[in-house]
Amino acid sequence: MSKFGVSADHAEGHERPKPLPEITPFAQEFWEGTKRGELRIQRCKGCGHSQWIPRPNCEECSSRELTSELSSLSGVVYSFTIIRQVVMNSSAFEAELPFALAAIELSSGVRLIAQVVDVEPEKVSIGMKVEASFEHLSDKVAVPKFHPIV
Amino acid sequence: MSLRGKAAIVGYGETSFTRANVSRGEPRLSYWEYFSLAAELALENAGMSKKDLDNQGLAIVHPEVNHPLFVGVEVAENLGITTRWMITTSHGGSSGLVSLAQAALAVNSGIVDRVLCIAGDAPMTYGDTMMLTEHRRDYEKPFGVMGPTSLFALVMRRHMHQYGTRPEQTGKIAVTQRDHAVLNPNAIFRKPISMDDYLSSKMIAEPIRMLDTVMRVNGGSAFIVTSAEEARKICPRPVYLLGFGECDNYYHDTKQLGDVTSTGVGQASRDAMTMAGVARGDINFLQPYDDYTIAVLMQIEDIGFCEKGKGGKFVEETDISYKGELPINTGGGQISAGQPGLAGGQVNLIEGIRQLRGEGGERQIDDARLGMITGIGALQYGRNVGFNSVGILGTEV
Repeated sequence: MSKFGVSADHAEGHERPKPLPEITPFAQEFWEGTKRGELRIQRCKGCGHSQWIPRPNCEECSSRELTSELSSLSGVVYSFTIIRQVVMNSSAFEAELPFALAAIELSSGVRLIAQVVDVEPEKVSIGMKVEASFEHLSDKVAVPKFHPIV
Repeated sequence: MSLRGKAAIVGYGETSFTRANVSRGEPRLSYWEYFSLAAELALENAGMSKKDLDNQGLAIVHPEVNHPLFVGVEVAENLGITTRWMITTSHGGSSGLVSLAQAALAVNSGIVDRVLCIAGDAPMTYGDTMMLTEHRRDYEKPFGVMGPTSLFALVMRRHMHQYGTRPEQTGKIAVTQRDHAVLNPNAIFRKPISMDDYLSSKMIAEPIRMLDTVMRVNGGSAFIVTSAEEARKICPRPVYLLGFGECDNYYHDTKQLGDVTSTGVGQASRDAMTMAGVARGDINFLQPYDDYTIAVLMQIEDIGFCEKGKGGKFVEETDISYKGELPINTGGGQISAGQPGLAGGQVNLIEGIRQLRGEGGERQIDDARLGMITGIGALQYGRNVGFNSVGILGTEV
């Protein structure tokens, strides 16, 4: 933290910092996982339901016995958009415009929204197979970004 | 207990909308002032004074701009009234209709005789907004999601993929609503647009163009609800609440991998039509909540004006102007009249009331007797909208 006071909700090490999440108690294992290059998705011990985003209990059977199961990093694009303008988010994303943002179905049975990179955004398509790698936004937070795989 | 015909709207008012551009001489007001202005207009329209609201009911839509949680009592302080019943609604674009339904319950239960329902917001005056959902902060913004526009773009792309929906079809909604805004003195955009203008308008989040979206404005609106019995005594043209349906946390098929192209407006509209005892074909006009053109298209399908996925074709083949077979958003909707923050849901509702009172001016629908109004809000993570409501209003019980 700079002595001039970098806002706590902004990532360090970026010229224009990206917004950081608040690490809520039930999301701790997810964020611990992304730092190690893993996607950990909640799975209910009671009924086996998998859910993203992290919740305090299973949305199906209400059990609070949730494991944080290692998910495959690969998935399939369910839908996508090409972001051409930054609105209601940090200007840090301006350097990345235009970029593809997709809803990706992971083989663990959940849908996650993330950027698709290493490909021209116009080449992204529904059904495209993608795999996650991770961008470290701070020493506490890494977010998945996906790239096409054959 | 059915609410059909138990309560009515006896007065309404809407401020004009503004971008609060001080250099153009436009006022830069607070949301408090929009609450007060809207209340004054509704009282004047109803031929009432503040005294008629003292010891009655008050329903307030939470603004989107950062505001105190105890907004309700502060609004009552500013209005100088004491209330016997007060609620604040936080249902996004669905809030106005929820206020109406709750007000109808209150007068029908006998707790109060009258309820003033107000919404006001001033996103052009304030920089900070409330935190609307935790998932936006934690799993959307850090991941590069640009607010609801990104999420609706994912929904729209999927709709295009599954059903072959084309930009010319959503474009017809934008062009027709603009034609309506030209005839609405309160609207922010009053120059017509062509299909070419729509197709060449700037992409924000493909496939969403600038002209698919709303422009934020400052503004407010209000309406006064009484029992149907009292309404008949004091109002020459009461507008009755005939049906209402609400569906929150809707998902389609499954919670995690459901189809995102459907809204909960389908279920809410079936409940509302059952309560009202009317069929779709009886409805003279539709004022669907419109933050994006694709939202209008999906709701047309979900209500059942056509099969799911055929909304594009339906819009193409149907005259949706105020003169047409199914008039849609006859005041221009929020896309062309402007979105006054979370008071936005009342834009569609107030236009519905106006049409049923025969006060639509140059855009008045002939013989408007029965109208359907919708409210949607809060895009859920990876799904569609979280709040859905439908109201059916009519000139007769």
